[in-house]
Amino acid sequence: MEKNKIISIEHLTKRFPVGKGEFTALKDINLEFRKGEFAGLVGPSGSGKTTMLNIIGSLDSPSEGKAMVLGRSIADLSHQEAAALRNRHIGFIFQEYHLLPVYTVYENVEFSLLLQGMEASKRKKAVMEALEWVDLTDKVDSKPAKLSGGESQRVAIARAMVKRPEILLADEPSANLDAKNAHNILQLMKKLNQELETTFIFSTHDEKVMQYLDRIISLEDGKVVKDEKMKVEF
Amino acid sequence: MLTFKLALKNLLGAGMRTWLNVAVLSLAYIVIIFYNGLIDGWNQQARHDSILWEYGQGQLWHQSYDPYDPFTLQEAHGTLPQSADSKALIPILITQGSIYPQGRMQSVQLKGIPPHQQLLALPTHSLDNTTHVMPALIGKRMANTTKLRKGDQVLIRWRDKNGTFDAREIVITEIFDSDVSSIDNGQVWLPLQGLQEMTGLQEQATLWVAGGGYQPTSLEHWKFQSQDALLANLDAVIQSKKASGFIIYTLLLGIALLAIFDTQVLSIFRRQKEIGTYMALGMTRLQVVGLFTLEGGANSLLATVVGSLYGVPLLLYLANTGFAMPAASDNYGLTIAERIYPVYSVGLILGTIALVVIAATLVSFLPSRKIAKMNPTLALKGKVQ
Ligand SMILES: Nc1ncnc2c1ncn2[C@@H]1O[C@H](COP(=O)(O)OP(=O)(O)O)[C@@H](O)[C@H]1O
Ligand SMILES: [Mg+2]
Repeated sequence: MEKNKIISIEHLTKRFPVGKGEFTALKDINLEFRKGEFAGLVGPSGSGKTTMLNIIGSLDSPSEGKAMVLGRSIADLSHQEAAALRNRHIGFIFQEYHLLPVYTVYENVEFSLLLQGMEASKRKKAVMEALEWVDLTDKVDSKPAKLSGGESQRVAIARAMVKRPEILLADEPSANLDAKNAHNILQLMKKLNQELETTFIFSTHDEKVMQYLDRIISLEDGKVVKDEKMKVEF
Repeated sequence: MLTFKLALKNLLGAGMRTWLNVAVLSLAYIVIIFYNGLIDGWNQQARHDSILWEYGQGQLWHQSYDPYDPFTLQEAHGTLPQSADSKALIPILITQGSIYPQGRMQSVQLKGIPPHQQLLALPTHSLDNTTHVMPALIGKRMANTTKLRKGDQVLIRWRDKNGTFDAREIVITEIFDSDVSSIDNGQVWLPLQGLQEMTGLQEQATLWVAGGGYQPTSLEHWKFQSQDALLANLDAVIQSKKASGFIIYTLLLGIALLAIFDTQVLSIFRRQKEIGTYMALGMTRLQVVGLFTLEGGANSLLATVVGSLYGVPLLLYLANTGFAMPAASDNYGLTIAERIYPVYSVGLILGTIALVVIAATLVSFLPSRKIAKMNPTLALKGKVQ
């Protein structure tokens, strides 16, 4: 049990300087995530969902308390260590896709692996496999500007998953998609979650997303107000 | 290497703006290389001509001789000591005088030179005295200002060694065409013996021009001016022309660099989300700074490629056909050919490339430093100020 605990957050508080004062975005949060979870932070806009994901993803760090991710304390990581953690172990998916505009679909997906210094033949195999997961092998040479919203988000999923990260953080991934595409990418991610045992953590206030989640953590004003398992574990 | 590939891809992806920057930068390349090549070509031609027409392998000057002070000419003459290696030397006697073309007086230097000398390119054989009148040789500039033509007779006046005025007619037997104006403007070349007799300075000379094989030894009353020493002045004047070109191409290079700087500042501001994405994907801040710096710096590499596409043929064409220099430069007394053939040295080309690459990289680095301070979460939201 203990071995499967890949994220643990204890008494985490996050404050942002605002004008002369401070704004507390997260207040004394305590949470744990285990390997393979398909969980979501749910709550209204401004409740602190993105802030939470950013800290887990080592893009930001706690003001107080502790965030342990894959055995590392986020607050104690150097810039380089945090970058390496993101490069190898954490994938991000954003509401706005954030594909790199001048690169092709293939190159977008390849990027993390290039940074890792993976050898060319392995890289190619991994990229093509990731594009098969998201069913975009026919778009390898397209530029992001030519893709639909659904296709863009699928490229983003391939880009995040190609390195087979332990953790995938998806910040409102369906917000810019229509219902059909939203269901499509959720089914896709659920499948990858089961096949690769990647831990997925969403931030969302979209009902369509929630129906796929195994666990819903409700945030309000920077506090966890509910944490419920949606299915009996097996 | 990875970052370099990405940088180039980003740069090419930026399209029009990149090509504008590259166009201006490549133009700066061409202008710098052409202008400096032109000056170097001028310098090479001028050195070559000056050696051929005036300096030889050096000159042995009478100790009183100062080419910038005509009053020294009164004293500056003598005979060479026995110990001098006079076989490799040709004597030139110089004295002040005046000439009266169309009755107007013009002061000149009368220069005596042996008609049979072969050391200098001056066509002195035309001074071989076959008639009773005194033959004289002048250059095209002198012919122009005095309106004298081949075969014309003209009166000259000079003082002999005792200071007494004397006058006689000379005949222009040849007009020579040389790019070396310092042997032409205000000068009349006469047979050495004739001038020695006119002045009463038998066997004497003001200076001796050395040919190949002359071994300079220390001689009383004479000082040896090496070829390099004689050319130093010419080099200095011509090199100083580089400074005036410097302003022009620094301005051009400055515009190109400013455009790159501006593009960088703008692209770092506009591409915050992209910068945040790079960080989310695992690039360190320094890698992103490096990426953007290389991206701006790579403008110079594209400019090198583009510049050589149109620049190499253009520069080679100019090196072959030469470049007509404005005639005005001629009147400053500088040695200058009508057409200058630019010379592009490896040092000039590599130096220019290094200059442009370093400058472009530097102006790209300055704004890119800002990325190192960026908060990735704000960058992802596009909220960095
Ligand atoms: N860098 C920041 N500086 C100041 N306030 C911030 C910053 N980031 C987030 N906040 C504030 O923290 C609160 C939570 O933000 P966020 O985590 O983005 O909420 P959510 O993703 O749930 O909409 C909001 O009120 C937001 O304005
Ligand atoms: Mg949010």
